[in-house]
Amino acid sequence: MADGLFAQLRRQAFAEAWPQLEEADFGLLLIPEDRDGFGGDWGDLAAVLRLVGKHALAAPLGEHVIAQALLFGAELEHSGFVALADGNGAPWGREASAFICQRDGKLALGTGSVTQSESPAGEPRDSVALDGNVTSLGYDADVKALIAFCRFCQTAGALDAALELAIEYTGQREQFGRPLSKFQSVQQSIALLAIEAAAVNCAAQGAAAALDRFGMGGEANFEIGAAKLRTNTAIKTGCALAHQVHGAIGFTQDYPLHELTRRMMGWRSEGGNDAYWANRIGQQTLQWGGAGLWHEMTRRTDPA
Amino acid sequence: MQTFAVHPFEAPDNASDIRRDLRAFLAQHQPTEDPVKRANCWTEFDPEFSAALGSAGYLGMLWPKRYGGHERAPLERYIVLEELLAAGAPVGAHWIADRQTGPLLLRYGTEEQREQYLPGFAAGTMYACIGLSEPGSGSDLASVRASARRTDNGWVINGQKVWTTGAHISHAMLALVRSEEGSERQAGLSQFLIDLDLPGVTIRPIIDMFGTHHFNEVFFEDVLIPHGALVGTEGAGWKQATAELALERSGPERYLSSHALLAEMIDAAGSDAPPDLTATIGRLVSEMWTLRQMSMSVAAKLASGEDPSVEASIVKDLGNTFEQELPLAIQAVVDCDLADGSNQARLLATLLQVSPSFSLRGGTREILRGIIARGLGLR
Repeated sequence: MADGLFAQLRRQAFAEAWPQLEEADFGLLLIPEDRDGFGGDWGDLAAVLRLVGKHALAAPLGEHVIAQALLFGAELEHSGFVALADGNGAPWGREASAFICQRDGKLALGTGSVTQSESPAGEPRDSVALDGNVTSLGYDADVKALIAFCRFCQTAGALDAALELAIEYTGQREQFGRPLSKFQSVQQSIALLAIEAAAVNCAAQGAAAALDRFGMGGEANFEIGAAKLRTNTAIKTGCALAHQVHGAIGFTQDYPLHELTRRMMGWRSEGGNDAYWANRIGQQTLQWGGAGLWHEMTRRTDPA
Repeated sequence: MQTFAVHPFEAPDNASDIRRDLRAFLAQHQPTEDPVKRANCWTEFDPEFSAALGSAGYLGMLWPKRYGGHERAPLERYIVLEELLAAGAPVGAHWIADRQTGPLLLRYGTEEQREQYLPGFAAGTMYACIGLSEPGSGSDLASVRASARRTDNGWVINGQKVWTTGAHISHAMLALVRSEEGSERQAGLSQFLIDLDLPGVTIRPIIDMFGTHHFNEVFFEDVLIPHGALVGTEGAGWKQATAELALERSGPERYLSSHALLAEMIDAAGSDAPPDLTATIGRLVSEMWTLRQMSMSVAAKLASGEDPSVEASIVKDLGNTFEQELPLAIQAVVDCDLADGSNQARLLATLLQVSPSFSLRGGTREILRGIIARGLGLR
């Protein structure tokens, strides 16, 4: 269902796409069924966000679903779009009626004034100065990590879409008397792109499984960090490969590849860049120790 | 499209029990006198350890009990494999028989062949090697020329196999041989289980650049094997060998065989690691964690009865890259005197030197990426 809807919403501006997404009640995805939600889990959200990335939707669907779940966790409600704000700003902040950030070791819901700016792909990356109207949610979560979750799930779809474009294009474009896809060097490049897409898809699933097991309060940060760090590498390698096999045409405004790659290029910096997560994962690993790393990795996926 | 069908790995309920018991077993039985043996551990031959492992029920885990197996579930076996590799246990002697030769006999072999070999494989006392590559046939496996000529008394084998890991300690070789004279490429090939003690078999060591003896040349000069040594269908050798290779490529050894170095390096880094070492560890761990997710997905797909050949090639290629990167990344940030005799130095020096082989053995990187490209419809 989401795949069909998102295919239609592709290339629509936020003002056109958002009402349709709201009408489909995606905000209820993580809310339990007995509280009139869809009763979905983080694995379901990962699948939906993969489609958001695949269709290059100009809408903060992941942030919206997560914000609603965070509010639900505090028995709070707030209609309309609530943006997530981490130290780097609030994606789509200008469209929000309220913001969730971290303050004094807890999540907080607040309102404030927005300064607008854009990501490389031209999407809103605003900053917010909160006013005095702040409510504590009573518990903590890592907003940056939750934004990271959105980005690597979206990247899973975006890389799959870039791969699909690469296969289609190289199958049609002929040089030296045959399609580009018949050249071994091109085949090997596309295989590498497929490998990176596969890695991100698996990493996203693994992180979603950790969120389902440990909850969104921060206990799944190891898996989220590992997935975001791996995704950052995949974005670096994958975008370059996708553009390389497309030649000049892939570098134009008209051709759809940039709708995927320019977004991904920005996403590498959102929710934690390589240095940020490499440091956190490294610190956690050093705490666990050599044998501890293996024991923890296996304990965290074995039945409790 | 989604290239890699992610299959959720539902760990069995007794997963933590399996790990606890196996870790206790290893604490008792895993040799400790040379820590360097933990690196690249699945090429370490230790018949005593393999026999102990067999006695304890960790080999032939999925096979019928009447052949000495234990009728366990595939994901239980997967847990055993990853624990053995993470510990750097010396699993080399039995690895091939347990991973592919045994399963191949269960799939294509006769009752006699199963009864003759499986109990020894499951006991960890009988070992097998892979007879595929020849001097003229590496990546182009279909060009093999070793021949089998049918006579009244059996098949007569002539030719040569090369890069045969463990032939010198193995009892039998599962060989891909041209059984139809004049046939070309994939046609006319058959698989034979050749007893390496037979007259006419000569095994010569090939010493690798690190100074170790794993590889061999194996010469067959008019070696007479019984008719019953044919495995499966005459002429179907290519299809059978392809199935065997899928088993060879789908396990966790593709990313876990150097784990001892990572663990050692983490411990050596200690609590006061400088930022660049901390970051390097973070990158390596994130890659390893991702590979585990991918490897578990392959195992789950295999366990569900589906063929994970593209996924297995992806995981093998990425795993090879990770294992080659591991010693290089460590060397870049750890100011380690490779001659200082420490565990870290010795593991590092070892893995630096054996690492070129990771992207060559079991299917070269270029071939694997060609398989992936074919899976994407490009070839």
